[in-house]
Amino acid sequence: MRRLAIVVALLVFVSTGLAQSGRGAITGTIVTDGGDAVGSATIQAKDQSTGKVFTAVTSKTGRYRLADLPAGTYEISVPQLGLRTSRYAKPNVVVEAAKTLSLDIALMPNNFGILGDDAGFLQMMNKYADIKGPAPRMPDGHPDFSGVWLANVDPNPEPASMLPWAVAEWTRRRDANFAGMPTATCLPTDPTLTLPVFYKIIQTRSLLVHLFEQDPHYRQTFLDGRGHPKDPDPTWMGHSIGTWEKDTLVIDTVALNDKSWLLQATWLPHTEMLHIVERYRRPDLAHLNIDVTIEDPGTFIKPVERHVMWQLAPGEELMEAVCAENNRFEENAGLK
Amino acid sequence: MKPIAIALVLFVSGSGAFAQIVGGTIRGTVRNPDGIVAGASVQAKQQSTGTTFTAISGKSGEYTLSPLPDGAYEISVPQLGITSARFVQQDVVVQAGKAMLLDIALRKMNQGIVGDDNAYLAIHNKYANVRGPTPRTPDGRPDLSGIWNANVDPNPVPVSLLPWAADVMKVRVATNFRDQPSNVCLPDDPTPTLPLLHKFVQTRTLIVQLFEQEPHYRQIFLDGREHPKDADPTWMGHSIGKWEKDTLVIDTTGFNDKTWILFGEGLPHTEMLHMVERYRRPDLGHLTIDLTLEDPGTFIKPIERHMTWELAPGEEILESICNENNKFESNAGIN
Amino acid sequence: MRDTFRLLALAIAATVCAGTSVGTHHSFAAEFDITKPLTLTGKVTKLEWTNPHAYVYVDVQDPQTGAVTNWAIEMGSPNGLTRLGWTRSVLKPGDAVTIEGSLGRYKPNLANARSVVMTATGQKLGAASSEASR
Repeated sequence: MRRLAIVVALLVFVSTGLAQSGRGAITGTIVTDGGDAVGSATIQAKDQSTGKVFTAVTSKTGRYRLADLPAGTYEISVPQLGLRTSRYAKPNVVVEAAKTLSLDIALMPNNFGILGDDAGFLQMMNKYADIKGPAPRMPDGHPDFSGVWLANVDPNPEPASMLPWAVAEWTRRRDANFAGMPTATCLPTDPTLTLPVFYKIIQTRSLLVHLFEQDPHYRQTFLDGRGHPKDPDPTWMGHSIGTWEKDTLVIDTVALNDKSWLLQATWLPHTEMLHIVERYRRPDLAHLNIDVTIEDPGTFIKPVERHVMWQLAPGEELMEAVCAENNRFEENAGLK
Repeated sequence: MKPIAIALVLFVSGSGAFAQIVGGTIRGTVRNPDGIVAGASVQAKQQSTGTTFTAISGKSGEYTLSPLPDGAYEISVPQLGITSARFVQQDVVVQAGKAMLLDIALRKMNQGIVGDDNAYLAIHNKYANVRGPTPRTPDGRPDLSGIWNANVDPNPVPVSLLPWAADVMKVRVATNFRDQPSNVCLPDDPTPTLPLLHKFVQTRTLIVQLFEQEPHYRQIFLDGREHPKDADPTWMGHSIGKWEKDTLVIDTTGFNDKTWILFGEGLPHTEMLHMVERYRRPDLGHLTIDLTLEDPGTFIKPIERHMTWELAPGEEILESICNENNKFESNAGIN
Repeated sequence: MRDTFRLLALAIAATVCAGTSVGTHHSFAAEFDITKPLTLTGKVTKLEWTNPHAYVYVDVQDPQTGAVTNWAIEMGSPNGLTRLGWTRSVLKPGDAVTIEGSLGRYKPNLANARSVVMTATGQKLGAASSEASR
């Protein structure tokens, strides 16, 4: 009886406290469609009137608590995690003062939820959630971006505004179930390097190399002061040069052909005028923040921006991935 | 008897200077169907002793091998890049005080298609004068980083194959190497015997090798890790490197059995393939590679090859997407 | 020098050399027949500057009938051609070219190119000479 009284007293105290500050909370559990807990994932509450964003991270058992939310109406979202789960967004969630709302979330599968379709993103996210430490530096003092990184998607991707021809082309792609995607026939990946997959970075004083499991498996970013070549042949990945702005590496890429499809899950068309600028920062050992600006006056009405944060996965390694060794796509898609 | 390599590198100059020297001479001009060939290594191997002498053809394609002890010689020019076939002529007899004129006509290989190799000879000649000491990393190791114009073994020893493998080779030759995986954009030979451009990027814990054929990169782990137990067999295998003084010894296992190996030969192999490469950088411009390939399921004894790659510092590895317009199957009547 | 001897450079095993199929990265012998050399003259209609092989398409007129056939001519990779001094705009539609190479085995109107010469000037494009091209 006494214990109950204390509990009641505490609840009353807490409620009174909340009522006085006009704040509420949302709590719940996030699971996959198969019922597995989703740990170490970031859930976001965006105030629909002010745009202010609050985040929380799920525990290893998938539980989260978005606390101290001013009363209001929110969009609750969980970004796409790896390639396996779809983005979750629920608008018009009302948070009342002194109340805790219960919201359990089951993430829908993405791309049929095929077993093994992504790099075990959810497991990897959890496995490396607790790495701490300062950002390493090169002998010359610049940040060192080397490492095996688990890339992530932008939690708040803004839709691209495209010229009419590009909208028509994108619609055609969507209506064909994206059957013409270059990677389906083992052609190169998105040159913006924004897939939620593993990227390995090797950095020397004069060169940054990205290695990845999709074709063409590597990108060179020259740090030796060279400029872009005059009249280069357009290529799938373009020509990349990097320059330092204090602790930010600015990577500039031009000379891209028009054949790649951009931005995972969006698959945008583009022209040879495509110009990609990536700004890399490593605020601490375990994180790599990348701001990507994609310009193409022949396609986009205004530049497209993406903001991603990669997570260090030091125990992982890239593995060989030879797409052509048994690719049945064309046969299965009724193209052959 | 192990051949002793004696390099006598002589360029054509006034012939008067050599008129007094005892010993014989072989001289001539090296040409291919496109014209004169500068920068070709012409080797004379004394057939009785195995001793070798080398001269390099000059700007007008002329070479002089002198002074040579009496005897019968095998004269050879190695395969140059991809499109120039190896030249061999045996029983060239040299007598003291006499000069032999031997003009060498190099023939095309792989049908001599324009652009089929990476302008090997032009690149070889462009950087022929690179000089300097071995670059070193902060911890004192040789730094193998750079863009390398790869080369072939000038004296390749023929391979002895087990009967099943010899039978497979008969079929491959008879079908014109039609089923070679690289024809359909699958990975090429994982041994360092392709005379193409390779880029090495070396850090303390890792060397990344970049190249233009599938799968475009190889990682060589220098961080002390061992090969994984029971790894999935892969096209390129798993490579670890250890320093033995100034030699990097790279050990590779974990191969699948799908690649056709040894450039120009296209040999089969099993998953027992084990590759050991010993890399040295004796000076700025050269990378020497001693290669040993063992596969008791295929080769009667280990295969050895010895190559010297040359630095090509002004070149770059370029994007090369085989799948973008591959017509092989259609052209070869397969599809 | 007294007693000079001139040795002919014997073509050792003549059948073995250029005709031998070689296990290189791309086995031309499976697609083309080295025993069927040909020379074609015509006008470029298109250049495909793609991997693994660049293609030039050429309209060739039959001297007797006057009929025009479009031939597909396979060459090396764009990277290989670039390193010989080609650029992707070195051949334009309408250029008159003379091609020497070998006939395709299975596909009609297909050949490969050992050499490409601009018919008007006689200039051989990016000849595989041993001189440094730059």
